[in-house]
Amino acid sequence: MGLETIIGLEIHVELDTKSKIFCSCSTEFGAKPNENTCPICIGLPGTLPVLNEEVVNLAIKAGTALNCNINMINKTDRKNYFYPDLPKAYQISQYDMPICTGGWIEIESGGKTKKVGITRIHIEEDAGKLIHLEDEPFTLVDYNRTGVPLIEIVTEPDLRSSEEAVAFLKALKSILEYAEISDCRMEQGSLRCDANISVREIGQKDFNTKVEIKNLNSFKEVAKALEKEERRQKELYNFGEGHKIKQETRKWDAGKGRTVSMRSKEDAHDYRYFPEPDLPPVTIKEELINKIKKTLPELASEKAKRFSQEYKLNEKDIDILISSKEIADYFETVVSLGSEPKEASNWITVELLRVMKQTEVIPVKAEQLAGLIKLVDKGTISRSAAKEVFDELVSSDKDPEEIVKKRGLSQISSSDQLEEIIDSVLNQNSQAVEDYKNGKGKAIGFLIGQIMKETKGKANPNIAREILLEKLK
Amino acid sequence: MKIHKMTIEEIKQGLEDKKITAEELVGTYINRIKKLDGKVGAFLTLQEEEALNAAQKIDEKIQKGLDIGPLGGVPVAIKDNICMKGVKTTCASKMLEDFIPPYDATVIEKLKDAGAVIIGKVNMDEFAMGSSTENSYFKKTKNPWDLSKVPGGSSGGSAASVAAGFTPIALGSDTGGSIRQPAAFCGTVGLKPTYGLVSRYGLIAFGSSLDQIGPITKTVKDCAVGLLAIQGHDPMDSTSVQHEVEKDYLDEIEKGVKGFKIGVPKEFFMEGLDKEIGRAIRKSMERLEGMGAEVEEFSLPIEDSGLSAYYIISSAEASSNLARYDGVRYGYRSKDFDDFEELIVKTRTEGFGNEVKRRIMLGTYVLSSGYYDAYYKKAMKYRKKIQKSYREAFEKYDLILGPTSPILPFTVGEKINNPLEMYLADIYTVNVNLAGLPAISMPCGFSNTKLPIGLQLIGDHFTEKKLLRAAYALEQELGVCNEVPSLGEEE
Amino acid sequence: MKINKEEIAYIAKLAKLSFTEDELLKFTKEFEDIINHFANIDKENLDDIDINSFENFESVLRKDEVKVFKDKKELFRNAKSMRETYVEIPKIIE
Ligand SMILES: [Mg+2]
Ligand SMILES: [Zn+2]
Repeated sequence: MGLETIIGLEIHVELDTKSKIFCSCSTEFGAKPNENTCPICIGLPGTLPVLNEEVVNLAIKAGTALNCNINMINKTDRKNYFYPDLPKAYQISQYDMPICTGGWIEIESGGKTKKVGITRIHIEEDAGKLIHLEDEPFTLVDYNRTGVPLIEIVTEPDLRSSEEAVAFLKALKSILEYAEISDCRMEQGSLRCDANISVREIGQKDFNTKVEIKNLNSFKEVAKALEKEERRQKELYNFGEGHKIKQETRKWDAGKGRTVSMRSKEDAHDYRYFPEPDLPPVTIKEELINKIKKTLPELASEKAKRFSQEYKLNEKDIDILISSKEIADYFETVVSLGSEPKEASNWITVELLRVMKQTEVIPVKAEQLAGLIKLVDKGTISRSAAKEVFDELVSSDKDPEEIVKKRGLSQISSSDQLEEIIDSVLNQNSQAVEDYKNGKGKAIGFLIGQIMKETKGKANPNIAREILLEKLK
Repeated sequence: MKIHKMTIEEIKQGLEDKKITAEELVGTYINRIKKLDGKVGAFLTLQEEEALNAAQKIDEKIQKGLDIGPLGGVPVAIKDNICMKGVKTTCASKMLEDFIPPYDATVIEKLKDAGAVIIGKVNMDEFAMGSSTENSYFKKTKNPWDLSKVPGGSSGGSAASVAAGFTPIALGSDTGGSIRQPAAFCGTVGLKPTYGLVSRYGLIAFGSSLDQIGPITKTVKDCAVGLLAIQGHDPMDSTSVQHEVEKDYLDEIEKGVKGFKIGVPKEFFMEGLDKEIGRAIRKSMERLEGMGAEVEEFSLPIEDSGLSAYYIISSAEASSNLARYDGVRYGYRSKDFDDFEELIVKTRTEGFGNEVKRRIMLGTYVLSSGYYDAYYKKAMKYRKKIQKSYREAFEKYDLILGPTSPILPFTVGEKINNPLEMYLADIYTVNVNLAGLPAISMPCGFSNTKLPIGLQLIGDHFTEKKLLRAAYALEQELGVCNEVPSLGEEE
Repeated sequence: MKINKEEIAYIAKLAKLSFTEDELLKFTKEFEDIINHFANIDKENLDDIDINSFENFESVLRKDEVKVFKDKKELFRNAKSMRETYVEIPKIIE
């Protein structure tokens, strides 16, 4: 009998706000330990939370982008549990009245398009960070992240393979990035994924026992962990020991490449949720939802369609360009400055992304790249000289023309100047001329090479070739 | 005139007329505390130097003819669950024995802005849980009217401080009666404002949806002045009032009760009410009628189940609010532990007193899976029913009147081993918190044994002005507030 | 309703409190009295009341603006153990 895999995801996404969810501390990543803290976010006695307006706005934006219903009344709840990274010993979250419910997004996997349901999105606060040092008898706590705003997105158990799970995450990431809801940097923890996975016989209606896998910090790990767990569960089933799959939380150990059962969580959690008495409910008005809808930018899938129609680019280039909103916007700026779309696309997908493997920010200004493309287009510089200029642009704010001048890279395109040089080359290489006339086509290459040598590579090769052929007639 | 018997109004007059300096005034109070608090046990921390410095600054302002603020030079005692920057704030708990907040509660900022001189922090039941101030980790406060009796609680230190003439005003907090009941026991005036009228920012939470800070004073007018100084919207407290509040509680305070409709729930006079208290309340009802108010008995059958709802909700919130005490960022830490789990458990087990543990346990129980619907959810529903009952009552009446406490101040140690009996004594006060209403307790007479009797007036949301006006009229009529306890000192 | 010692022990575990055997027994008895008193709420008819309906409240939100709490020394002065700017706790094994 065939088995199928059932996967549902829970994704925590850090919202792109300036300040924390319930206090005015900065959310900036990478600050000195405990720098972004105040009496409120370290849970000092007597302090109270006040909800950040932008958190509500971004959650509504996410809900809208993911085709959810936005709930008009929003209540927060306390989720009670003790852990040293949770200063109040409760997390302010949403329990039975989440801000968004019932959405979906479309994913593409294995050549097919599929709708994946979103059960709910709720807002909550992040916990702090524990630093475990090996061989030391203590753990260190950094509260910079406590109170950073999160949305938790829960999917329906609609995913059937690890590929689909990854495709979903990629689609989700792209939407959230495009809508500027989150920067989705998985390596910084601003997008974190837990997965619920079970297997069942094809045709079976009910779900079997599921296992929760935590700590999936990259698409690769999501794929690997789910494949491993899928294999483990299927093997147990095939041995007729499906009952040995117990409901548990397993942690993905990337180093060891396997999931391990999390010890401390053996007893069922009793979170004792109850309504947060320190925060009155928030009403969301229709006008606000409509206003946010209008600010929602073009999503990646729409952009792909437009790029194909408007710029006549091929699918491969479009995929690369729209992989990040920043690059797509950059491309359009370069085109708007007069560059030919295909040309701009080539420079970005090949040269720019090559140098961007080392940097986070785009190192060449759109004006600079557009200027460079123009110089090539006009024939002022050769393609190879352009690459040289580009490399300098990466670390310089200079105008490309200035660099060309400074380095003396401009081509000789003037026919008068070239004719003089070509005449002298022909005089000095009578043997080659002879060869050419005897039908040895290769000799042209040799002669062009000599012209280039004479001009130190600055001759415009196309014009030089034209003149040469004319003279050899 | 003895300084310790002065009202805020008299103090202000005295300073203005330069009959006394703020420094003399504050010094006199401090000396009285030093001399007599050994008997009463109201103070946990005395801020002698800081208070005298603040008083000097007030005197400088007076010299320069500058405005000293509505509480300029007035000494205030603060319940020790209200955070003051740089000053120990203990909640009368071993858990917070050394806790020094890095910030001021909003009410502290407001008091300072109003020119008040904060003289010290006063005793309370640990984490405000209790009705006798016997649950303090540090000491038991005594009732200044009879040192063998409790001052009530949990703001027992605040009420005792005012009754003993240690300060003309003190701040307390009221979650289920913790301002009104000690005010009643100590023969003082205590106001629990409408939920949201006074910011909770900096008040160490017990039951967040119930807690409210309020003034305890000798007279109703002083209470009005105190409320005005601490009230108002606070952006740091999301549950604080969002609309404009009354700007003057004194301008109409002397207008009397003529035409006021006052409802008296007949359930207040059922089994369990001390006879002397019942008589004193009835007498006050007659006096009010005599002054032109319409007094009418009606039925408000919410007391019994309300008490249960109160203990369920307040304990549930407390169990969560007190979960943060784990020995990591502040507070007591057990000396002896092997790992983090043991650190938390030992810290909490050693750091909390019995009553606090009982409430944490109760709260954890009523929220835990399997019991949530049976207790917490039901209590929340009942809370809504109480709110509706009061709403309907206030369609008919301007105010509701009754006793503050069913019992007189009891003997120290008498009820400490019977928690349920202690809880039952809160029966007349807790529903006011569940409904978020304002209520004032004022002295209306004495028992044969010369123990104070408190009368409670309850108003609709944000009708403190009316409440204070009625209380003032009755206070003037009864004249009880002029009596002060003798602490054996030679007058 | 009868409450047994085991239930109290489970609640204590959730609340991170520990009790001696004697305390546990005493506590169970007190607890039972209190909880049984709470049963008086059962006589009330609460069928039509929805705790998730809200009246008369206003949304309270703050602007997304950063304000720095400068006095970090005061902020962490109550912590029992620090290592540089980190708070130190006994080793946590995940
Ligand atoms: Mg979550
Ligand atoms: Zn903060």
